[in-house]
Amino acid sequence: MPILDIGYRKWSGNRSPEWLRWAVVATTGISLVWRGTWLKRFLLFASFPAIVTMFGVGLFEQSTRDETYRRMFNGFLASRNEPLGPRDRMNRVRNREPIISESADIATQRHQAWSYMLLWYFRYPQALWIVVVIGLVAPRLISYDLRSHGYLLYLSRPLSPKSYVFGKACVLFFLLAMITTFPAIAVYSFGLLLSNDPGAFFQTWDIPFRILLATAVLVLPTSAVALAFSSMTQESRFAAFGWFAVWIVGWVTYLVLTGSAMFNADDALKLHQRWLLISPYHVLGHLQEEIFGVLPDGQHQVGPWILCGAVTVVGFGIARWRVARMLKV
Amino acid sequence: MHSVIDIAGLTKRYAGNFALKNVDLIVPVGVTGLLGPNGSGKSTFIKAVLGLVRVDTGSGIVLGGDWPKQVKSIRDKIGYLPEDDCYILGLQGIESVQMMAKLSGLPSTEALRRAHEVLDFCDIGQERYRNVETYSTGMRQKLKFAQALVHDPQLIILDEPTTGLDPTQREEFLDRIHALAHRFEKSILLSTHILHDVQQVCDHVIILVRGQVRLSESLANMQRPTQSGLQIRVVRDAGRLAASLRRRGLMVECSGDTELRVQGESASIAKTIWAASMDESVLIERMDEARNSLEHSFLEIVSEKNYANS
Repeated sequence: MPILDIGYRKWSGNRSPEWLRWAVVATTGISLVWRGTWLKRFLLFASFPAIVTMFGVGLFEQSTRDETYRRMFNGFLASRNEPLGPRDRMNRVRNREPIISESADIATQRHQAWSYMLLWYFRYPQALWIVVVIGLVAPRLISYDLRSHGYLLYLSRPLSPKSYVFGKACVLFFLLAMITTFPAIAVYSFGLLLSNDPGAFFQTWDIPFRILLATAVLVLPTSAVALAFSSMTQESRFAAFGWFAVWIVGWVTYLVLTGSAMFNADDALKLHQRWLLISPYHVLGHLQEEIFGVLPDGQHQVGPWILCGAVTVVGFGIARWRVARMLKV
Repeated sequence: MHSVIDIAGLTKRYAGNFALKNVDLIVPVGVTGLLGPNGSGKSTFIKAVLGLVRVDTGSGIVLGGDWPKQVKSIRDKIGYLPEDDCYILGLQGIESVQMMAKLSGLPSTEALRRAHEVLDFCDIGQERYRNVETYSTGMRQKLKFAQALVHDPQLIILDEPTTGLDPTQREEFLDRIHALAHRFEKSILLSTHILHDVQQVCDHVIILVRGQVRLSESLANMQRPTQSGLQIRVVRDAGRLAASLRRRGLMVECSGDTELRVQGESASIAKTIWAASMDESVLIERMDEARNSLEHSFLEIVSEKNYANS
């Protein structure tokens, strides 16, 4: 029983524009997933690699002034003039070979060093966290609404299936930005703060843009695939299964197909290029290398870009189509 | 007649089958009952009005807006209570009503204030702080009603709103509909199978059969009998009273032991009825102007034999 029941009252006031209503879908979705304890734990763990990357950036800045640190640091970076793939870079690290070009000036070295460290951050720990966090959150984003007919509540308001799917995708964009973009920008800012060189910003001004582009390349196709799976079933566990299956099957198949040429560098490169598109993980890794400017010369491929775009369009298209189809009586 | 929905030539097909076939329909201001057997196209019509399904043909004016071109803006003026059991998993009752208000463009704080207000109106107490998936069917119906009202729409579309409500809740629900229509000038389109609900709150009735409008008429006109007369309810022995009235030259139809209907000019036959009641010692409980039964009219309209060739 309310303390003061005033009954029904008319309401008049200014309403937000229709084209912004997707934001309600997004904020509601974020507030719902944020209640999950495991998600918060994962986000906390996912922030640890950023600390490691910050340490690396700090080490590099120290190495610009101190020869001892410079020797320690040499093993980690490749020169732009010596195009190296991931396996070659690893070999150099193992052999303790100096792989920063001695002739490069400090500005070039700084750009290379920061780019490599951010690539490492995106390519290895955060790629794994993205798979885990999306696998935890995305399967239920649309499938729960399909099961409980919640989509009818959304779509009976000035919201199209397209903006509904966009609102749901924004939930993933937000979480993935928390895992990748914000920490990466923090790493970059930390590097600027630690640097003694007042010109550091002008030497590395493009890195924030590369971070944003790398985030987009990671986030768009992965969100599209995850939402497509979520929209295809009312059981979120099936969507989660599909999501993890795509990554694991792609990865294992790629390793099997390229594994035979492990000891022959030429064959490995050919096979890598031939079978790259099979594994989502390797496709995204390839694109990130290209975005951070560390892809060896001659290894540029159009295929991964096209695949990435196609997966994004098809994934969001399927999700939109499924939601619109549910409205049929 | 002032109307909230005025649509012409509405056709919707699913895989070649007509769900709605060239429907011309005017829904007047007030409370309108949308009746029809299962599969008659009621839900399709509602979803078409809301723009949730794409129609093959049809155009018109809904709440002053060009339908279907401006259907998204029109939705801001409509409150919809779906037939399906629908809710957002994980949200509390208050949050889900607030969310619906925000989806209709209300600012966040105002949406929360308004949500509390309509939840009070819909008689949802502290349960508003529970997750909606724990609600009973009746509570969910009330919650959906609150969600439909929260943005103060001009037109409220209710698809089977009293399903799952106990008799007391149903009466309260119908009272709310009545209050909204008569005190707050809301137009209401009530799609239901429960004819009693229609009889209780509606001013106008539309009957859809096989995707076509069979009848669009005011309830008063529909219930007006072709022949005048009186409807009588007695405590018992309706048959004995009927026999006495027949002997006095009146036409009487008897249904059961307590109900009878007497044909004739009410003013003139009333005296005869009272006299027969005294002679036979049959106690009259109630005497009303005779009306057509809505159920009878509905069955007649939807029966196959009347429209076999349509």
